[in-house]
Amino acid sequence: MPDWVEPVARYILTEGLPGTLRVSSIAVVGSALIGVLFGTLMTIKFLPLQMLIRLYIEVFRGLPILVTVFIAFFGLPSISPRLEFDPLTAATIALVLWGSAQVAEATRGAVQSIPREQHEAASALGFGWAGRHGFVILPQALRRLLPPFVSLLVNIIQNSTLAQVIGGLDILEAGERQSERLTSFPPAGIGEIHAFEIFGGVMVLFFLISFPLTRLAARLEKRLA
Amino acid sequence: MAAESGHFPDLPMLLATYDLSAFVSENWEELLDGLLNTLKVSGFAVAGAFVIGAVLGAARAHRIPVVSQLTAVYVEVIRNTPILVQIFMIFYALPQLGILLNQFTVAWLSVMIWGGAFNSENFRAGFEAVPHRYREAGYALGFGPRSTFLNVTLPIGGRIALPSSINTYISVVKNTSLMFVIGYAELTTTALNISALTLETLEALTVLGVVYLALVWTLSASIRLLESRLALPEAR
Repeated sequence: MPDWVEPVARYILTEGLPGTLRVSSIAVVGSALIGVLFGTLMTIKFLPLQMLIRLYIEVFRGLPILVTVFIAFFGLPSISPRLEFDPLTAATIALVLWGSAQVAEATRGAVQSIPREQHEAASALGFGWAGRHGFVILPQALRRLLPPFVSLLVNIIQNSTLAQVIGGLDILEAGERQSERLTSFPPAGIGEIHAFEIFGGVMVLFFLISFPLTRLAARLEKRLA
Repeated sequence: MAAESGHFPDLPMLLATYDLSAFVSENWEELLDGLLNTLKVSGFAVAGAFVIGAVLGAARAHRIPVVSQLTAVYVEVIRNTPILVQIFMIFYALPQLGILLNQFTVAWLSVMIWGGAFNSENFRAGFEAVPHRYREAGYALGFGPRSTFLNVTLPIGGRIALPSSINTYISVVKNTSLMFVIGYAELTTTALNISALTLETLEALTVLGVVYLALVWTLSASIRLLESRLALPEAR
């Protein structure tokens, strides 16, 4: 293997991969929590609340995620300087807005698919709205949400590369920096272009992370169908 | 002006300086050009993704050897890697192999390749959902395999695949915003370049939000309309 490969691979794995993992893990947890909450609230028959959440869902599912990333990174700071975030955090916020809209829509469907008798039985046992949903309805609905959650994870990992556009150090940005470094003259670089190998490697890395997860999602879907 | 005093503008000041109509009236020609470029790239890519989807989806559904397996590999590679990395491959890596494409070509080609992969899955599912007896009826009437496909499987399966393929086309339109990274002057690039000069960030983002939501919401409303009008008689 040529000499340039080892430092490039090390940089991508030690500097880039943690950025991707940080953004993806926080975004997935945030999307799940906010999405399940909004999706459950949407099943309450209270029109203003339903319309508000519907608007949230349609806006953040409708916008290109890159535009949401720009809103988080450029838009929020121009509203207030306290809302200025570093690129990785801004990308995480954008992914949570998008992901929670996806989850909310799926949760609404899953909660409504639980038969009315389950609600009635829980009420008869003396549960209030929160207890009924927290202990009886949501545990059943979450089972049906498992395959969409795995797909969401895959989508969020892939879309975390949008952090690169605003300069966040993720796998793609790490590869981009190394590819640029190699083109400069020694001692920093070697004066050669290796974009094909580096971005090819980045592609393989993402494939190795995503492929098992998409298989898992397909398996779960078949099992729970 | 708050911006000139060197301090961050606070919210009331910001609301006082926010002027969407001035932003639009001063830059509408550029913004319109950007929108037209977005539509042009989307149109090319959607047309290509339709053809790729129909051809490769048919190959998959009919298990045509070699083509079917190659399609499966193509679909899995595209689905399991970020589209941004695919764009980087086409824009930054292909020139290393001597393949130099201009920005417009990279723009429609990359979203077309992406959309084609998703669309061939949509069409595969659509074609596989066409009941066997329909095809058998075609053969019984003396149609060959090709005319059975063109006269029976394609019109029926294509209609079954329509809602999911329109969803793919909507994603294709949204993904054209990624051409920001290669500097192609579609809507997102245009609006952000203007705001970089004039510092009217919120106005630029408002324009982007309104235009994209109008496009996407119109297209998804058309799905619902088409679903009811093109539904197969049996499904009604």
